[in-house]
Formats: sequence, C-alpha cells, structure tokens
Amino acid sequence: MPDLTLTKVAKSFGGNAVLHDLDLHVRDGELFTLLGPSGCGKSTTLWSIAGLHSPDRGTIAFGDRVVFDGGRVDVTPERRNCGVVFQSYAVWPHLSVHDNVAYPLKLRRVKRPARAARVREVLELVELGHLERRYPHELSGGQQQRVALARALAHPPDLLLLDEPFSNLDAKLRERAREWLRALQQRIGVTTVFVTHDQDEALSMSDRVMVMDQGRVRQVGTPEEIYHEPADEFVADFVGSVNVLSGRAVPGADGTAQVSLDGLGRPLTVPAGADLTGDVRLAVRPERIVVHPPGGVPADAVNVVTVKVASRAFLGDHYRYVAELGERELVVRTLTPVDHGSELIVELPPEAIRVFGPA
Amino acid sequence: MTVTAGPRPETAAPAQDRGPRRPSVPTTASHYLIWALTLLVVVGPVVPIVLASLWSTPLYRSGGGLTLGNFRDLLTDPAWWTAVGNSAAFAALTTVTSVLLGVGAAVLLSRTDVPLRRLFAALLILPIMLPGLVLIVGWMAMWAPSGYVSSWLEINTFLRFPVDLYTLPGMVLVATSVAAPTVFLFCRTTVLAIDPALEDAARSAGASPLRALLTVTVPLLRPAVLNSALLVFAISFEALGLPLILGFSNNIRFVSTYLYDHWINAAPPNQGLVSAGAVFLLLCVSGLLVLRNRLVGDAARYTTVTGKATATRVVGLGPARWLPAALLAVVLGVFVVVPLAGVVMSAFTTILTPYVTPWSVLTTENFQAIAEHPIWSESIVNSLLIAGAGGLLTTVAIAVVSVVAHRSSFRFRGSLQQAVVWPRMMPGLVTGMAFFWSFAILDPGGAVRGSLWGIGLAFAVRSLALGYGVFYPALAAIGEDLVRAARTSGATWWQAAVSVVLRLCAPAMAACFVLLFVSILNDADPAVFLVTDRTPVMGLTMLQLAATSTGGAVAAFGVIQMVITLAVLGAGRLFLGVRAHA
Repeated sequence: MPDLTLTKVAKSFGGNAVLHDLDLHVRDGELFTLLGPSGCGKSTTLWSIAGLHSPDRGTIAFGDRVVFDGGRVDVTPERRNCGVVFQSYAVWPHLSVHDNVAYPLKLRRVKRPARAARVREVLELVELGHLERRYPHELSGGQQQRVALARALAHPPDLLLLDEPFSNLDAKLRERAREWLRALQQRIGVTTVFVTHDQDEALSMSDRVMVMDQGRVRQVGTPEEIYHEPADEFVADFVGSVNVLSGRAVPGADGTAQVSLDGLGRPLTVPAGADLTGDVRLAVRPERIVVHPPGGVPADAVNVVTVKVASRAFLGDHYRYVAELGERELVVRTLTPVDHGSELIVELPPEAIRVFGPA
Repeated sequence: MTVTAGPRPETAAPAQDRGPRRPSVPTTASHYLIWALTLLVVVGPVVPIVLASLWSTPLYRSGGGLTLGNFRDLLTDPAWWTAVGNSAAFAALTTVTSVLLGVGAAVLLSRTDVPLRRLFAALLILPIMLPGLVLIVGWMAMWAPSGYVSSWLEINTFLRFPVDLYTLPGMVLVATSVAAPTVFLFCRTTVLAIDPALEDAARSAGASPLRALLTVTVPLLRPAVLNSALLVFAISFEALGLPLILGFSNNIRFVSTYLYDHWINAAPPNQGLVSAGAVFLLLCVSGLLVLRNRLVGDAARYTTVTGKATATRVVGLGPARWLPAALLAVVLGVFVVVPLAGVVMSAFTTILTPYVTPWSVLTTENFQAIAEHPIWSESIVNSLLIAGAGGLLTTVAIAVVSVVAHRSSFRFRGSLQQAVVWPRMMPGLVTGMAFFWSFAILDPGGAVRGSLWGIGLAFAVRSLALGYGVFYPALAAIGEDLVRAARTSGATWWQAAVSVVLRLCAPAMAACFVLLFVSILNDADPAVFLVTDRTPVMGLTMLQLAATSTGGAVAAFGVIQMVITLAVLGAGRLFLGVRAHA
C-alpha cells in the first residue's frame, strides 16, 4: 500500500477559501484522521484525495504516483483506485449486496469466478456473507454501512477513504462499529484516511489525528499528543472539554511562571519556557483538577484554591461541578460526589496546565 | 503491514494501468456534442422564423432583402388587432374561471368532507388525460344550440342552456373545462404538501377548523395559483383548436386562427406576414412564461414542505357539505360527463337528435368511414408511429441531456437546463413554423420535411419540456453520493451515468415515455405547417375535420383517440405500478 502526500493543496469556492496550502502526509498502513468542526475543510480534503473535487493548486501523490499537480495532472476519480465510504453510504438501491460489491470488480474486468470469490471474501470480512442476495432496503443502517465498506475494499483500493461513516448510526452501534472497523483496518493494513467531527471517534480509532479549522492545520499528532499536549487553545477546546482562564504572567523560579488571575488572591504556578510574561491563557482539563477534603491537602501541593460551588450535575459515570474561580467559571469532574458544603478545595497541578499566548 | 484478508485478485494490474476500460471518446467532447445538437434542434429553428419575418420574399425563393414590411403589414391590419383583443379577452376570462373552479375544487376535494370527493376529483382530472379535441367535439354534440342535450331541454323542459358555444363566452366555458384541471392539480399538490402544523398553530391560537383552512392554507396557495394561472393564460392565448372549431365559422378571429387563415386559406400564402405574427406570439408567450418563472423563483418563503409524512386532515363542513357537492356535480356533469357521453353517442349513431331515440340509429358506419378513407386511416397509423418512435427517442434524449445538464461538470450545463424548458415557451404554431423554415433552408429537397421524421421532430421538441418535467424530479432525488461511489469504484462519467443514474431513473423514463406518447399522438398545432398529403397525422386531421363538419366521423375519431390514450395511460399505470425494489 502506498503512503499519501498532499503538498500545498489550496481550494476555494466562489472566492471563499476552504483550504489554505494544506500539507499532509499519511504513512503506509496508517489510520489517519481529519478532525474538525463542520466547514473546516476536512471533507473537501478527502474529496480532493478521491478526485471528486479538483483543488486549485498543490500536488497530491499516492506513493510516487502523482494524481494531482496543479493544472498539469488531474487523474479522474475512476483512475485513482481509492475505496470511499460515504456518509450516506451511497449503497446503490437497484443492486443486490453482491452486485454492489461486484461493481468495482466488473469495471476492472475480473472474470466471473474470481469475482464471485472475491465478493464472498470481502463480504465475509465485513460479516455479511449470509446477506449476499439481499437488496439494500432490506438491510439495517449498520449493515448498509458494512456493504459500503465491502464495496470500497473490493478492488482492492490503494487508499481507503471514510467520510463520517458512523454519523448515521445510533450511539451504541457507533461504539461497536468503531472498534470493529479499527480492528479490520489493522488486519488488512490498508492506508486509511478518516474524516470525522467526533473527537471520541478520532481519539479511539486513529494512529494519528490532524485537527483542522477553517481550512488550516492546527495540529498533527497521536491521539495522546492531541489530547494532553494540544498545540493551541482551539485544539484544547475542540478535543475534550477544557477550562480556559486568562491572566497575567511574570517569570518565576526554574522553568515556571507565576500567573495572577482577576479575583484570585494568590498567583498560580505554571510550567513555562524562557521568561513568560504578559497576558496569557491557561487551559486545564476538568478531570485533571484534584479535589481535596477539608484539612486533607498534602503539604507539597501547589496551586490550591478554595472555590465556591455554583452547581452540581450527575452525568451517570461522573459528577460535574461548576465552581466560581475569581470571576470565572471552573468546571471540575469527579468520579464520586464531594459534598463539602458550598465550597471545594481544588488543586490545579502545574503539569495539568497548558499555557497559551493571548488569544 | 500484515495483509491477511485483502489479497488482490490475480487479474489486477499495477497501479498505473489499473482502472476503467475503454477510455472512449473523452467525456467532455461528448458533452459538447450533446450540447451543440440540443441547441441546434431546440433554439436553432427560431432563427429562420425571425429571418422569414424580416425578409421580403419566402426564404426558399431566391432574391428578396431585409424589410420591416411584414411587421408593418401586420401591425396596420385592423383584423390583426381584433384577433389580439379576442385572444387576450378569451385567455383572461378562461384564466379567471379556471382559477375559481380549480382552486375551489382543490380545497374542497382535498381538505373537506364533501361527499363523493374521490369521484369528483377523478372526473375533474379526466380532461387533462384526454386529447383536448375530444372534449370540444363532445361539447359541440351536446351543448351547441342544435346539440342533443340543449335541444332536448328546450323541447321537454323550461330549462335552456344559457350560453351559445359559438361566441366568446361559450368558448371560455369550453376552455375552462380543459384548463381548470391544470389549476386543480397545481393547487392540490400544494394543499397536500402544506404542513398540518401550520393549521394546528392557527387552531391553538383560537381559529375554528374552517377558519384555519381559509386563513392559513388558502393564502399559502398563492404561488400555485399564480403559477397555474399564468400557464393557463399563456396556453389559452396561443390555442388553435378551440378557436378554429368554434370561433372560425362565426368569424371570431383569434391570433392563432388569424395566422392559420393567412397561411392555409390565402393564395398565395402570406408567409412573411404570418412569420411576423408568429414572432409576436412567441414574444408574448415567452414574456408570460419568463414572468412566471420569476414569480415561482420568489416563492421560497412559501416553502412549507417539511418532509415529514403526515396524514392530511379533513375539515368537517356539517350538513352544508351537500351544497358544494351538488354544485360540483352539476358543473362536472355539464363540463365532463355529458360531453364525453356526447362523443360516444355521436360516434355510434347516424344522427344524434332528441327527435329520434339513439337506439334506433345505432351504427358503426362512422368507424368504417375512417377505415376506408385512406388519409384518415393513414393518419392514425402515422400518429402511432410518430408517437412510438418519437416518444422513445425523445425520452432517451431527455434523459441524456438532463444527466449532462444536472450531473456533470460540463461548462455550459446551465444553458442546457434552459434549453430543455425553452420549447415550453414556444406556441405549437410557432414550433411548426420554425421547423418549416428550418427545413426550407437546410433541406430544400424536402426529404425530411416530406417525411414523418420532420413532423416527428417538431412534435418531439415541443414535448421536451413536458417529458423533462416528469423526468427531472426523479433525477434530482438521486443522491450525488451514489454517483461519486460509482466514480471512485472505477466508473467513468458515462459508465456511472448509465449504470447508476439512468438505471435508477428507469421508472421515471417509463412514465416520461407514456406521457410523451400520448402528447405526441394527440398533438396537432405544429403539424399545420408541416403536414403533406403523404404525411397526415391524427390530431391535425381531426382538427381540420372538426373545423368543417360536426358529423359522426369526427366523433368516431375522438373515440379512437380517447381509447388509445386511455389504454396507453392505463397500461403505463399498470406497468409503473409494478416497480422493482427502489
């Protein structure tokens, strides 16, 4: 399987730029996710790879085969040999499951016995071997999606492209489909580009994630890197939930800085590079905030503050507290209820705080 | 990387060579070809008409030069202006009566508990399915001053049929019976599509069911009413059949009959003058339909369809519901039932008069006469041929052109979309004349003009918009992803278009064929300028017969036309009823 390289790909629709000189490299056999809010250009990127949209500029290469290069090369979608699973599945209603999957093989003039064998093989792979003769309207949404996947894998493709394939499934089914698809992809080893706006999907399935916003790349990294070391406030906020606090920094001792927040008596100690000064924004994930019982604060704890509880909500697997930190809201997540009256003693460990420049 | 489950089929070639077979004619070139052909056939013929109207001699004769003389002659002829006045008055009155009947029936029959509403709706729609001439012939047989029912009333009761059919009001009455169904269908579709929640909101605000219906739903019909009213006006303004049959003998000239008269009856035919008149007619009707498209475009704020399937609710009228029912029964009886019975009765009798019981004069002579008359019988065969072949070819053409127009990235696809609906703006007479002049220039030998292909082509172009209207909604309903999936699976643009789009549109193509068949079979107007002794067609033969006589032969023609039409529509319905999984 080839790798995939996009270089300076740009695209605008009617003067409105949706991709700004996008660079991206997907390694051989990798599951690479494009994550971002709707309208961020992730689907446009996917369709540019598939050949369904022509970018305005840039190059796209599968391995060393250039499929798009400015105005000079633009391989039509039928010659790119991608397998695409569409959000709507796009399973052809007039063809049986077998004929849907056989379609790409027919176009490639695979002989009948070989074709039937391959169709059966791919359908077994997606666990639909027993439904070969059915028509799409006789299938559930999840089954249709697997037909679409089988069809995309049949030829077999050089690249598998998935456009929000789970968005039409209900929550339970979605979780199962995710695990199943990830396992399948690893087994086949097909280079895969996956588009989603759902951070859970992106984090749980991907080898690497690219977070996009307004046609620009915000960060590329493993799910862990994206979650724990977000490159900027947008990524921190879009992937998972985060408390953002603004304050004023002065340099502190050995690689730290002191940040004072409005309405908070003592400044917070945060990790910092060389002399961080001026207006900064701090990001803390709610589950990284530690709640201490009254009188139970360890002696070496830093950034311990007492906050007033504004509301509490029970969300099944966790509790969510909204507290007042100075003039800001601070969201805190705990696994057990902490009923210490109307106040909470919370610790914001320095290693849990990400510091960004002014927004 | 472990490839345990995805071995390539042994036939797969290296990446560069894999892909679809047959990179035949490049897709773009084929799109340009289709585009050029469509414009040539659809828009091209208008050029010679304009040319003919500005040329001092007929185009097929050498010599002559540019002149405005034809237009001067036309615009200084008082008879022309009388005809324009008559056409305008006729069209306006027909529009008003059709809208009143159509809207009233649409609301009553789809939203209230008027008794027998299914029967009434079926009767009301019937004229739209039948050839227009049949109903007119029926009106003449029954309601003309000497007609069967009007005479019978005069002899046996104190009732009189209040209107003379051979006057303008009489023609309006007949035209209403043909045009009201159009308004009815437009409005009924809208009424049924309106979200019941809108009325529910009025109800919860304190309105009674009837008041909610009248203050919410009826105002929402405005775009549908406007749309259908302009359509009815345009069609009535250009109509040839009705004015020729009812008005001509009584010297009531319309625009269409003025042109017809100066072409057919003048010696030598005044072709420059008629061309100028056709240009005038084309401008008027095009203007109206452009206006209509504008208004329909602005109708977005009336968009109320939610996509939720909800049952329409029926408003109870109480005992009062028998009043509209009685009214509808009388109107539909006079407009539809009696005329149709009249056609059948005069077809099967030697003479239809209240003084003789029809049973005593039963005959099949009228049908024998048609079978024995070479031109008459030939015209039926010709029409069936044209309708069959023309319907088929036009359906394929519509499908291909629509797919290029809506599903390609072809540069000029916008103009192609316009080109398919453009013939709708062309009055039938103008279409016929357009092809007459085109053939005169391109085909001086008359090989095409003298054959059925010539008339078939004119009929086909005229029915493009109708077929497109049936085909396009099905095309629009096919998700773009289905096509993209085919492309990424390895299909070329044409392979995807044929194996996915057109395959999924097959039921719509069948419906399109059925409607085109019926429309081409019964069409008459364009043939006026194209027909020869060797190429008679049923619609025109019947029209000319009806204009000169009222005998049983016309009615027999009508019965034949009606039977073929209903049989084809019935078969189509049966055929479309058994839809495959889709």
